[in-house]
Formats: sequence, C-alpha cells, structure tokens
Amino acid sequence: MPVWLREHSWRQTLTAVYLSLPLRGARATPANIFCSEQYLKVSIPPFLFEAILYAPIDDTNSSAKIGNGNIFFTLYKKEPAMWDSLTLANADKEKLQYLRERAVLKAHEKAKEETEAKKITKQEHKKYALEATMKLEEAERKRIEDLKEKERQKVAKELELWKNQQKNGDKYKSIQKKGEIHQEIEPLKEKKSEKINKTQIPNEGASKTRLKSTKGCLGSCSIFSQNLKEEQLPAPRAAATIKVNFTPRVFPTALRESRVAEEEEWLHKQAEARRIINSDLSELEDLKEEEKNPDWLKDKGNKMFAMGDYLGAVNAYNLAVRLNNKLPLLYLNRAACHLKLRNLHKAIEDSSKALELLTPPVPDNESARVKAHVRRGTAFCQLELYTEGLQDYEAALKIDPRNKNIEKDAEKIRHLIQGTMQSS
Amino acid sequence: MSAAVVAERPQVVSHVQQALSYTVFDCKWVPRSARLLCLGSAARGTGIIQLYELYGARLELLREIEKPKPIKCGTFGATSLQQRYLATGDFDGNLNIWNLEAPEIPVYSVKGHKEIINSIDGVGGLGIGEGAPEIVTGSRDGTVKVWDPRQNDTPVANMEPIQGESKRDCWTVAFGNAYNQEERVVCAGYDNGDIKLFDLKTMSLRWATNIKNGVCSVEFDRKDINMNKLVATSLEGKFHVFDMRTQHPTKGFAFVSEKAQKSTIWQVRHLPQNRDIFMTSGGSGSLHLWKYEYPAQRSKKDSEGSEMGVAGSLCLLQNVTLSTQPISSLDWSPDKKGLCVCGAFDQTLRVLIVTKLNKI
Repeated sequence: MPVWLREHSWRQTLTAVYLSLPLRGARATPANIFCSEQYLKVSIPPFLFEAILYAPIDDTNSSAKIGNGNIFFTLYKKEPAMWDSLTLANADKEKLQYLRERAVLKAHEKAKEETEAKKITKQEHKKYALEATMKLEEAERKRIEDLKEKERQKVAKELELWKNQQKNGDKYKSIQKKGEIHQEIEPLKEKKSEKINKTQIPNEGASKTRLKSTKGCLGSCSIFSQNLKEEQLPAPRAAATIKVNFTPRVFPTALRESRVAEEEEWLHKQAEARRIINSDLSELEDLKEEEKNPDWLKDKGNKMFAMGDYLGAVNAYNLAVRLNNKLPLLYLNRAACHLKLRNLHKAIEDSSKALELLTPPVPDNESARVKAHVRRGTAFCQLELYTEGLQDYEAALKIDPRNKNIEKDAEKIRHLIQGTMQSS
Repeated sequence: MSAAVVAERPQVVSHVQQALSYTVFDCKWVPRSARLLCLGSAARGTGIIQLYELYGARLELLREIEKPKPIKCGTFGATSLQQRYLATGDFDGNLNIWNLEAPEIPVYSVKGHKEIINSIDGVGGLGIGEGAPEIVTGSRDGTVKVWDPRQNDTPVANMEPIQGESKRDCWTVAFGNAYNQEERVVCAGYDNGDIKLFDLKTMSLRWATNIKNGVCSVEFDRKDINMNKLVATSLEGKFHVFDMRTQHPTKGFAFVSEKAQKSTIWQVRHLPQNRDIFMTSGGSGSLHLWKYEYPAQRSKKDSEGSEMGVAGSLCLLQNVTLSTQPISSLDWSPDKKGLCVCGAFDQTLRVLIVTKLNKI
C-alpha cells in the first residue's frame, strides 16, 4: 500500500498554478514525476501523490523543480480562469481510473510524436550536410575544369596561329622562289646568247630544262633541288636475303608471360600421354584386346594370387602398371605378392608407392591404406627393422583402431623390440 | 589534385574528337601541313583512306578514297617533301605508294607478301637523313622485306625464315641508324617475343633477343642518327627501352623495362622534337607520356674488360584514359610540338595537344 502524500500546498494566478509538495525525506528524480494534461502523479516508492487537476494544463510548458526536500510545480493553465480547488472534487474511482488511463495513453502518443520529430530533423540535418559537401566538391571540380579549359583555349589559339603561319610561310616561300628564279633566268639568257655559236649542248640542255620547268607551277621550283639530290642518291641496294631463325614455340598464338605456366602443363601432359602410347605400341601388338585393359589384368592377377601363382600375378600387375601407373590397387596387390615371394624390398617399395597414390586420406581409401601399412610393416619386420615396422603398424592402428589382428601384431613387435634392447 | 600539380606537369588536352564510320588502323599527319590521314577498313571489307584538315576546333573531311582491300598501315617516311606520296600496306599483302592528288592508280605497287602486312616504315624521305629512300614491311607470313620505290617487283632485302622452319608473325618493323648513305638497320618484332636487328649494310643479323611477350611495336628514338635508343612494347603491359650505343658481345644491349598497364601496349611514338620523350598507348584506352633519363655513365667495363651499356631510368610524366577500347595508332605532328593524333577501336579519331613540353 503506498503512502499518500497529502501535505501539499498550492496557490494560483489567472494563468498558472504553483504547487509545492514536500517529500518526507524521499529523493526525487525526474523519472518519478508523471504529468499529463489533467493528471499529475509523483511516485517515489513507497510514497505516492496523485491529483486529477481541476482544469487542463499545458503540460509541455509546465515545469517541476526538485530541491530542498520538496518538488515545486509550475503549471500553466490552458484556459486562464481561477480554479475553485486544485483537484476535481467528487472524483469517483472509475472516473479516476479512466482519467489515469487516458493520461497514460496521451503521454505515450506524445513520446511517439517526439521521437518521430527527432528522426525527421536528424534526416534533414544529414541531407543538408550531404548537400553542403557535394557543393564543395562541385566547386573544386569546376575550378580544375576551368583551369583545364583555359589551357585548352590557349593551346587552340596557338594552333591557329601556327596554322596561319604555315599558310603565310608557304606563300612567302613560293613568292620568294619565283623572284629568285626570275633573277637566275636573266643571267642564263645572257649566257645563252653569248654561247649561241658554241655547241655546249649540256649547258643548253640544262638551261632549257630549267626554263621549261619555271613555266610550270610554283611548286616545281624545287625540282632543281630534287634533280640534284636524285643524282646524289645511291643506286638501289643489291638484293639479298637474310635467313632467320625464330625462338621455337609450339603454339601458333603469341607468347604471353601469364600463359606460360598453363602452356607448359598442357605440353607436359601431352608428352606423358604420347609416351605411354608409344611405349605400348611396340611390344603389345601381339596381345589381345582385353589384355590391354589394366582392370582386367588386375583381376587376372588377383585370381592368380588366390591360386598361389605369385610370379604370374606379379607379371600381370607389372603389365597393368605399364599401361596405367596411377592405380594404387595395382601396387598394393603387387606388394602382397612380393611379400609372399619374400621380395621384401620390392614389397616395401610397392606399398610406399601405393600409399603415395592414396594421398588424399579420406574414409574411402581407409581399407586400402590400412592394408598398405600392414604389408609394409610386415616387410620391415621380416627384414628385422622392427622400429620401422612398428611405426607402420601404429599408423594402421590409427586409421583402423578396431582391428584386433593389427593390435596383436603390434604388441608382438613391441615385445620383440624390448627384448632386443634388453639383450643388447 | 592541387592546382600546383596541375600547372607543372604536361597535360594531355583533347582538342577534337571525330567519329568515324569504319575501323581505323592507322593515322598519320601529312608533313608540313595541318592535315591528317586515316587508314582503315570499312564494314563492307574495303579499304578507306580519309584526308582531314584541322580547322580550329573541328576536322573537315577533304577527301575520301576507297580501295578494294582493307588498309592496315601507312607511312610518309620514304617520300620527298614535295611529292608526299603515301606508302600503304593492306590486308592482302600488297604494298602500294599513292599520290593523293591522283589516287586511282598507285605510283608503285607490288604484291609483297602472302599475308597481311602488319607494319610499314619508311626512311630516306622528307629531307631527313641521307641515303636512298626505302620502305620496310613486316607481315604475318613471317618475312620482313625492304623495298626501293625505284626497283619494281623484287625487294632489296628479304628476311625470311629458314626453309622448313615454322614461321612466326612479324608484328612490327622500324628503321634506324641511317646516319649516312651506307648504314641502315631494320628492327623487327615478332609475336613470340623475338626482336631481331638486321644490318642492311652487311646483310646480316646483328642482334636478337626475346622479351617473353609478343612484341607489338618497336621504334628507334631517331631514324637518322647513330642508333641511340630503341623502345619495344609488348603484350601484358610491358615495354623495354634498350640503350643501343653499346653492344656487348654476349649480353647484347642494356635495357630498362617497365610494366605500365595491365593490358597490351599497342604503340610507342617518340616526340619528333625531343627524342627522350615518348608516348605509349594501351589496350585499356589510355596514353602514358614517358621521359627517359640517361645514367651518369652510359657504358662501363664488365669483368672481362668488354664494354657494356648502362640503362637509364624512366619517369612517367602524365597518363590519361581517353577511351574504353584500345588506342591502336598514334602519331605526333612533325611540325607542331605537342600536337598528336590517335585512333582507337571505338571508331573515334582524337586530336590531342600535350602542353608544357617545353619545360621538360
């Protein structure tokens, strides 16, 4: 049950109500005060004060001052009128409830509106800031553009000037040349008349051509220099051929550094394929079609192994490997044959090769890998290299921990090792 | 980018853009004029030569010539300044020299190669250098042939693969070392990365190397001097600058290489007015302007006492992206410093001006 605070005092003017509420030792914060148009509540647990006001107030402009052990409210009335009392009299429970609820709702709405308004102003501020930066950047860009434009115009003017100079220059040159030619022709004519009796054909011939050419267009005045130069030009070169060797390249496309790696790989694979085909062709012509199939050969080998013909099985596997050296099972089975034949080193080699080919260690090739390890381990042990053998057995156990045989064998080897160590 | 940086570096300003209705393979300035030529292939499979004149901010089409076969490359290098005949190589292997005033019949014509002529160069004309004017063509049939316009039908030099050897496409050719009447070299780049230097005076192979990527373009910094520098550009965005003054008996020429862009570098062109500045154009539609800086000593002695060249360093002056398609051809104007034209595979011709080249 809350403790009601009833010792409030108030006074009013036409437009405002001043309410003073002493707090009996309690500390108030703004969160404890709830005020709406016609409802005022102060709740500081366990203290409670509420009042249904006589008339509506303007709650946005009203204020509350917290201090000195009391709260001082300044409430501005909506309608300037003198109130008979602070609170509404004959306020029954229902009305109170109803008013309270309305007050709360109103407060909520107000809060919502406020957040909305805040959002909108924030957005507008952002927009404004964006526009401002854009304007600045535009200005900068424009400045640079203007500089460039100025350069461009300057340059265009220079170009025009140069062009005009060119044209004028040509005109002047041709006029000058014309003048010179006329000057030249005068003395020539005099010479000609002097030498008219002498048969100096070359001179005449030369002067004739010169006269002829001057009757032509202005441009040909330079034929003088042209003729002279032509006489000085060397004869056409004696025809010859130079034979050229190119850096060899297999592909008809151009060489690019970024493609070199791909090209190398492609060539390598081609070479491999060709090698296999070539090596087979020579010796395998007398074999039947099925005997060229590595899988068929593998099956044959397996059958021979089961029957105890270990050498035959090895032959079959050898041929299969020649045809396709990337099948791990071939090496695996050949290792088993070699074990039976007591070719221990070969068995080790083959099991190692098989393991290499089984490189992505996935659950699918688990059994194959276990077999490879076991066979290699057996070979090592028979060579009395017990530590290596143990390593292989342990690897096999790691792949397949549930195999009892392997465990037993591993134990045996451990004992053997300890035995030899003790004795030595 | 601060204003100061903008002000100091050379800028590449796009002056005019011209949309074309055909694929342009080569563009060249007509010497001593503000006119330029475009060579290419129309959609219907014929060759196009267009002559434009630069008027202010636009290009005006003066003449359009159509030929039966698409044209791949052209040069003014072997004609005199007065005649200004254009030598072209086309897709069929024909070398033709045209007088643009009367383009119906070529002045010189020969079916030089069995396959497309990829690249052409001329030397001895335009009042530059000495010696007979000659034209060299490199073709997909693996041969490089040198022609003299005064001699019909047979080349004066033929660099062909040994009988029975498989051939590689020749992608680019360039003349160099033509500083007197006898000396001349031809440099050829092939699609398997080979660069070969043929000496025409001794008719022999002077130097060969392989730069591990197909060679798209080679150019000497000047054709008419003792060979100084050679730039070779290739696929994969790389190019090499060789110092050609000192040849080591085994190691050849010293070089510096640079990987500029992720894509093929289609062309390299040296600025006619400054032989240490060159522009490379790339498959990503970009142009890079480079400056070569010489080392303190251009040659040094190696452990056996033979002379070995020392390569310098490269400095990127500017780069700009103009197009999304490769810029396949580039030409500097020999008359106005900084004016250049480039043609790209987006069927656009662009006239550019590179500023501030005087201050470099």
